[in-house]
Amino acid sequence: MTIGSVYFFLCAIACIAGALVTVVARNPIRGALGLLLTIVGIAGMYLKLHAQFLAAVQVIVYAGAVVILFVFVLMLLGADAMERPTGNRSPVARIAGGIGIAAIVLFTAYRAIQVYSRATNGHFPSLSEDFGSVKSVGKQLYSEALAPFELSTALLIVSVIGAIAVARTGHKRTALSPNNLTSAHRFFGGPVEPRDAAQPITKDSTL
Amino acid sequence: MNPWLRGLIYAVVVINVFLTITAWSIWFERKFSGRMQSRLGPTFYGPMGLLQPVVDGIKLIQKEFLIPINADRLLFVIAPPLTVVLALGTAAVVPFGADIIAADLDIGVLYLLALGSLTIIPVWMSGWSSNNKYAMLGAMRAVAQGVSYEIPLVLASLVPVILAGSMSLSDIVRFQIKHGWFAFWPPGPGFFAFLFFLPASLAEANRIPFDIPEAESELIAGVSTEYTGMGFGLLYLAEYLHTLVISAVASVLFFGGWDGPFAPGLHWMVLKTLGLFAGIFWVRWSLVRFRSDQLMSICWRYLVPGGLILVMSAGLWVHFHRGSG
Repeated sequence: MTIGSVYFFLCAIACIAGALVTVVARNPIRGALGLLLTIVGIAGMYLKLHAQFLAAVQVIVYAGAVVILFVFVLMLLGADAMERPTGNRSPVARIAGGIGIAAIVLFTAYRAIQVYSRATNGHFPSLSEDFGSVKSVGKQLYSEALAPFELSTALLIVSVIGAIAVARTGHKRTALSPNNLTSAHRFFGGPVEPRDAAQPITKDSTL
Repeated sequence: MNPWLRGLIYAVVVINVFLTITAWSIWFERKFSGRMQSRLGPTFYGPMGLLQPVVDGIKLIQKEFLIPINADRLLFVIAPPLTVVLALGTAAVVPFGADIIAADLDIGVLYLLALGSLTIIPVWMSGWSSNNKYAMLGAMRAVAQGVSYEIPLVLASLVPVILAGSMSLSDIVRFQIKHGWFAFWPPGPGFFAFLFFLPASLAEANRIPFDIPEAESELIAGVSTEYTGMGFGLLYLAEYLHTLVISAVASVLFFGGWDGPFAPGLHWMVLKTLGLFAGIFWVRWSLVRFRSDQLMSICWRYLVPGGLILVMSAGLWVHFHRGSG
C-alpha cells in the first residue's frame, strides 16, 4: 500500500463519515460541520486526481462560503430551530428507507467495479502534462466552455437580484411584542444591536 | 531526495521557526506597546524580560483545561488546535528564498485563500460550542466579518496574480525581480492592492482594529470567553501566527519576497516579513476598534467596489503594456 492510497482512503473515510454525520446528526450545526468534512474530503480527492485548481475552488466556494452561510442562517433562526424533533416513523417508512439505501449501495458498488475494470484495462487516456493547472482550466473555461460559463454568471446575477428583491419587499419595521419577537430576542433574550433597542423594551415584553 | 522526506523536513523547520518567532513576537509586542505608552513592558524574567514567553507558556500549560458543563465537548476541544493547524498550513506555500519553499504549488495564491476562508470555521466553532451568549455573539460577528472581508482579500490578492500572470508565489517573486516590486511598479494598482490586502487579511485574523469577535470591552473575551489554560493559549497563538503568515504573504505578493541587494535572499525575506509584522503591531496600538456596523460599511461600501476597480485597472495595465511591449 503506497502513501498515495493511504491518502485516498483518508479522504474517502472523511467523505463518508461527513456525509453520515450530515444526515444522521440531530443537531443541525453538527450536520453543517459534517458537510464541511465531506467537502474537504472531496477537495482532497480532487488533489489526488491532479485537479488542483478545482480542489482549491471547492474549498473556497463550498467550505468557505456555502457552509458558513448555512451556519449563519442556523444561528439567525435561533435556538428553537436548532433541535430537530424526534418523531416515530412507521415501520413501512423504515423498511422502504432501508431498501432505498441498499439499492444505492449496490448500484454504487456495481458502477465502481465497472469503472475499476475499465481503468485496469487501460481504457482511460493518459493525461497531458498541465492537466488541472490554472492555465488549462482557464483555457477550457474561455474557449470550449464559454457559453455555459457566461450563462451561469447570468444565473448567479439573477439569483442575487432576486434575493435582494425578495428581502426588500414587504419589509416593515413592526413593534416588538411578545408574539412578535425578533430572532435576537428569542435567542439571546434581549437586544443585541443598538438599532434593535431603538424602542425601549420593558422587562415583560422580552421573554 | 524522497519528496515525502523533503516535505517532512521542511514542515518541521517551518513549523518550529514560525512558532518560535510567534512566541517572541508576543514579547516584542509587549515591549513595543510598553514603549509607546511610556512603560517598560516585561522586565522580570531574563535580560530585558526575554524569557517572558517561556514563563507564559509554562503558566498556560499548568492551568486546568475546563470544559463548561453544557458545552459541545467535541467541538470545544478540537477548535483551538484547528485554528493553529490552519494558520500553520498557510505557511507551507510561502517561499523564503529561491529554493527555500516547502511546497511550490501551481495554485499557491488560491491555496492561501482557500485556507484563509477556512480560518473562521474554528473561531466560530469555539464560540458556538462554548454555549455562552457572549461567545455566541462573538462567533456570529466572526462569521459575518469573515464572509465579508473574504471578498476584498480575494480581489486584492488577484492584482499581483494578474500582473505576474501566475498563481505560484515563487513565480510572482521572480516576475517582481525582473520588473520591479508590485507595491511600487506599476504605479497604482499594486500599491492600492497592498493597502486593501492588509486590512482585509487583518480582519480575517481578527486583529485590532478588526477584533470585534473578541471585543473584550463588550463581549468579555468573545469567542475565547470559556477557554482556560492551553485552549486559550492556542487561540491566542493562532492569532499571532496568522498575523505573521499575513506579513510573510504580503511581503511576497507586494514587496518582492526574497529580492534585495548585498545579502542572501533569505535575509531580505525575513527582514521584510518582520518589518511588516512590526508595522501591524504599530497599527494595533495606534488605532481603536471599529464598531461592527462601521466594519461592515468599510468592507461593502469602500473595499469591495475599490477592489473591483483595482482588478480592472490591473487587467488594463497588463493588456496595454503587453500590447505595446
